[in-house]
Amino acid sequence: MNRNSIFTWIAMILSSLMLLFIIAPLAGMFIHTGGTQFLETVKDKEVHQSVWLTLWVSFTATLVFSIGAIPFAWLLARKRFPLKNVVQGIIDLPIVLPHTAAGIALLGFISRDGFLGKTASLFGLNLVNHPSGIALAMAFVSLPFLINAARDGFAAVPEKLEKAALNLGASNTKVFFSISVPLAWRSITTGFVMMFARGMSEFGAIVIIAYHPMVAPVLIYERFSSFGLNYARPASVFFILIALLFLITLRLLSLKRKEKFINSDAQTD
Amino acid sequence: MLRLININRRLGNFALTGINLELSYGQYYVLLGRSGSGKTQLLELIAGLEHPDTGTILLDDEDITRKRIQDRKIGIVFQDYAVFPHMNVFCNIAYPLRVRKENKKSIALKVEKAASAMNIHHILERRTDKLSGGELQRVALARTLITSPRLLLLDEPLSSLDTSLKDDLKRLLRNLNRDGQTIIHVTHDYGDAISLAKRVGVIHNGKIIQEGSVNEVFNNPHNRFVARYAGIRNFFRVNITAENGFSIGVTEHKVRFKLNGMPAGSNCLLLLKNDSIILANEAPVNKELNVIRGKVIEIIPSEFGMEVTIDAGDLFYVNILSSDMENLRLKVANEVWVTFSSKDIVVVSGN
Repeated sequence: MNRNSIFTWIAMILSSLMLLFIIAPLAGMFIHTGGTQFLETVKDKEVHQSVWLTLWVSFTATLVFSIGAIPFAWLLARKRFPLKNVVQGIIDLPIVLPHTAAGIALLGFISRDGFLGKTASLFGLNLVNHPSGIALAMAFVSLPFLINAARDGFAAVPEKLEKAALNLGASNTKVFFSISVPLAWRSITTGFVMMFARGMSEFGAIVIIAYHPMVAPVLIYERFSSFGLNYARPASVFFILIALLFLITLRLLSLKRKEKFINSDAQTD
Repeated sequence: MLRLININRRLGNFALTGINLELSYGQYYVLLGRSGSGKTQLLELIAGLEHPDTGTILLDDEDITRKRIQDRKIGIVFQDYAVFPHMNVFCNIAYPLRVRKENKKSIALKVEKAASAMNIHHILERRTDKLSGGELQRVALARTLITSPRLLLLDEPLSSLDTSLKDDLKRLLRNLNRDGQTIIHVTHDYGDAISLAKRVGVIHNGKIIQEGSVNEVFNNPHNRFVARYAGIRNFFRVNITAENGFSIGVTEHKVRFKLNGMPAGSNCLLLLKNDSIILANEAPVNKELNVIRGKVIEIIPSEFGMEVTIDAGDLFYVNILSSDMENLRLKVANEVWVTFSSKDIVVVSGN
């Protein structure tokens, strides 16, 4: 027996413990949720509305912010500019901030006294306690996941391919959409799904900005604090199942989309 | 058609300096240099992927130094082909036409024609990850040629092909040039240069150190670096002295060369082609010849026979045929006479 195989065994045991650490609480929650309780929760209109709100707001936030995030990621991957490291640090800031602190910071920005809040109120929109405010909170904490994944994807695209396309007469915009994005598509999709998932699971920042309308994490917290663990569990299980279903569907769709994109690229000109 | 006037470009620790180059229509110009010599950077400057810090690029007397890459009508084929991996062969070749928004019918016709010229019409629907190196090269060429470039730039197009594919592609490039396509081809391979070039430039450390026709450059190399490209391995630094009306070059190890009319007191580099040396078991009597005694220290097979290394104070590298090997019964540690004519010595002054 050599030292490598001992190390492999230790690594495997440690890996199993780590996996167990993730799986055990979730499995315990599923096991302790009774069938009747779960069925009641599934029929609960408040739970439905909350889960649906969480899904569509997070999806919309991800979609809208990807319009700016994807070109931004390309810039980070391709261009050198002053203070680039500082910019990279700023992007990662929401990951390390306590999310309640992020919520407080954002509240100052989107309340009626803040710049964005004031601007929105000119159009009769109050961002606090409104889905758009929730979307901003979700985007604030989850944007780094999309930007970083897409940046890595663009960085992995050989620059020679972009240069070749420019040499063949394509404009910078055309090169971006016909070469860079399709080739970084897998990373962009991963980033998109991660941003969406992170937005869905956000609690800290959202609870500061919008206790109502209630997103699923806030609803679960409310059930727990008002009625206890037994009432919070079925809602959690339901939310997890729906979120998983949505994520898997999204993942499958994006893979199909990629194949379609590859086959039909440039035929759409 | 193309003129580079005093091009300078700094890239980190490396710099292209004082590049001057002139190319006429229909020229096949080979830029020869080792990796890291700056040849690819120079191609990218001409194509417009980079811009020079100073200097001017003229194409048909128009200053294109700052012109957009898309408007230069200069095509470049990269060393690693840069074929788009997410498109099939047809879409790759059609890419520049679709960018120009040509109609589908015209695109199909032109792609078919370009693919036939490159002999890849049978793989138009194939994915690019299923192609061999030779096929990828042809796809990249077809994709560039379909834009009818005024000037075609090729970056090491033969470097990753096996011998038979190399010959095919060389034939294709020769035909392209014969049909009027002006080409600049960069390579590190002397063989590519002599088999394709009408003119050759040798680039070293960001400078073009010698330029001219293939014969001019390789029969009269200006320095050791160019000589090495021509397969010359015998270099001798000598001090010239005058003895009995003859010029004699003497190396640091006291090896003596008879030279033709060199001024005494000068310091020169002598180049001697491996093929210009004859080996003999006995000293020839011809007084015109240089005759130097040495010992065989290594015999290794080479492309055309054997390469024999002889230690005569300085090392001599000699190419001989296998049949001559047998006649001379050469073995390591044998004593032999190295003979060559003074006329075959190329004298390079200075370095």
